[in-house]
Amino acid sequence: MKLKTLTISHVRLISLYWSRYAVRSGSGLVYLMIALIFGLSVAHIIIMPVEQVITQQKRDMGKTDPQVISNTIIDLGQPIIQFVLGIKSLRQIAEESAAFQPRYLDTPKSAGAGKNGSGFDPWTSFLLEKRPALLSAIFLVLLFGMPFVISFLAYNQVSGDMQNHGLRYLLLRTERSSIYFGRFLGTVIFSTAVMAIIVITITFYLGMKTRLYPALDLAGWAAHGFLALSILMVPYIAVCSLISASVDSPFLSLVLAKVVIVGVLLLGGLGKLAWKPAKYLMYALPWGWQNNLLHPATIHWLGAALACLVYAGFFLFLGYYHFKRRDL
Amino acid sequence: MTHVVSIRGLSKSFGRIQALTKVSFDVPSNSIFGLLGPNGAGKTTLFSIIADFLKADAGRVEVLGFDTRNIWKLCGRLSILPQDARFQRNVPILEQLVFFQLLAGRTKQQAQEEVLKSLELVGLQSFAKRRVGSLSHGMVKRLEIAQAFLGTPEVILLDEPTAGLDPASARQIRDLVKQLQKSTTIIVSSHNLDEIQELCDHVAILNLGNLVLSGSVDEITLADREYNLFLSRPLQNSELQQLSSIDGVRSMKMPSHEEGNHGKGSAEYLVTLNLSAEHVNQDDVLAAILRGVLDMGVTPRKITEGRSLESQFLQVTGGQSSHP
Repeated sequence: MKLKTLTISHVRLISLYWSRYAVRSGSGLVYLMIALIFGLSVAHIIIMPVEQVITQQKRDMGKTDPQVISNTIIDLGQPIIQFVLGIKSLRQIAEESAAFQPRYLDTPKSAGAGKNGSGFDPWTSFLLEKRPALLSAIFLVLLFGMPFVISFLAYNQVSGDMQNHGLRYLLLRTERSSIYFGRFLGTVIFSTAVMAIIVITITFYLGMKTRLYPALDLAGWAAHGFLALSILMVPYIAVCSLISASVDSPFLSLVLAKVVIVGVLLLGGLGKLAWKPAKYLMYALPWGWQNNLLHPATIHWLGAALACLVYAGFFLFLGYYHFKRRDL
Repeated sequence: MTHVVSIRGLSKSFGRIQALTKVSFDVPSNSIFGLLGPNGAGKTTLFSIIADFLKADAGRVEVLGFDTRNIWKLCGRLSILPQDARFQRNVPILEQLVFFQLLAGRTKQQAQEEVLKSLELVGLQSFAKRRVGSLSHGMVKRLEIAQAFLGTPEVILLDEPTAGLDPASARQIRDLVKQLQKSTTIIVSSHNLDEIQELCDHVAILNLGNLVLSGSVDEITLADREYNLFLSRPLQNSELQQLSSIDGVRSMKMPSHEEGNHGKGSAEYLVTLNLSAEHVNQDDVLAAILRGVLDMGVTPRKITEGRSLESQFLQVTGGQSSHP
């Protein structure tokens, strides 16, 4: 790849034009709607029980008991976090739930104390106790779910214009590298903007509605979560970019993107039940380590962020190598 | 004569279909070069390889001295009207074309001025803010031509520029192409042989992916240059034989639609000249024919250039009209 031929100004122009066009063409709006519905639904499902407890306490006692609310949050967040982090299986969580009585129905004194610092591993403890737990749970679910959603935005970076030969108007005006990387960057910009909207909305809602966390803690953790989500989208957008450069049909590109992203997770996740080494299949995409983006150790989440960029670089290189040589 | 486009040994196949086979020719600078061929002859494939849309299996193309595999070196110097490319339907015309000019390094204001000028050339200036999706087929074609004329390209490739246009718009485009010839080399492909003969000074004829003829129109039609001669009355056989025996006249006969016209009304004759001998000059031969006609007491009413290129085309392509 001749990087020296990559004109920065062209990449900038194409990326800005492409991110605007994403809205106009409709695919950006579809993605925005799906991402917002998904993100806000996840937030609603996780926050709602806490809101109910707050309402109930205010109705019953005329005030809220922070300890009870904190315990409720931990009880809600713990299974989500431990499942997404792979610490417990759904079966274990179901068994525990069957024997579990929600602590907010007990007296405040009986609640909570047992688990804090006793049963949690450091990572769960960090997410539940040292950071705003509700936000941690929401971020973990979004980290798990957004890779499925991102393909709605990223599937048609070049395939549609290859199909209708629209790229031919650009090919004599700029380099193929500028088109390929410009559109990739435009998609990343749009994706990041949508992530910002989701995270800001959730954080504001959480802060205003529940008033459980100090504003600074909430803002700091929200910023970390936003960065984690934004960086995680980059390798998945790069995978979609590779697929988009390989097939002329946008519909086929979307289907393939879905199949690849879901398929890797299913093959790795279910395959390991039959044959343990199959779990390594999950490392074909960031599935295997992406939760490290919310790891307590700085070296871990920085490493995960770096790995995201390495994955993205690899997929981008493959995609560009093919795009540069193919008939358009 | 310098060549701005040089094609050497170009081959391209799509699966088992051989689209081009070792095609080689040169395009002189500041010429209007016609690329002819029946459907499936490989014209669009050739254009696409010149513009590096398609990668050749073998051979090379040089435009303005640059190998087109590094097409980015020709940014702004080479432009194309692709045959089957689509604009983005939801984006206003002005915005799309301005974006093209921004890529060419223009400021936003320069880009807008150039785009509006180009749209004016094709009569679309009042549609600048409309979306492409709202334009008719003919208007989209004119828009495609406008984008090809944007800026100051030194070489323009026009793949069937007048296909789908009404006669007035087609005439406008042909006039535009003629104007541009002063500063630009233009390669045109078309099925309209009259158009090619009117516009082009050089042609290449492709058939089934092979180059079957290439050269200047004058050279190609030298041995079979046709004229339509309209006279005040039909000629006698003896008069016809006398005119046919003039040096440089290959044949003189009534065209098929005039056969049987032996009455006293006006008559049309198809005169074919053979100008391949060095001492034979087209103007001298035509003057001799007209003198002979006048001597016979017949008034020549009109003489027009015939379809010499079409005859050559049909001859070299064997009347092929499509890929088998």
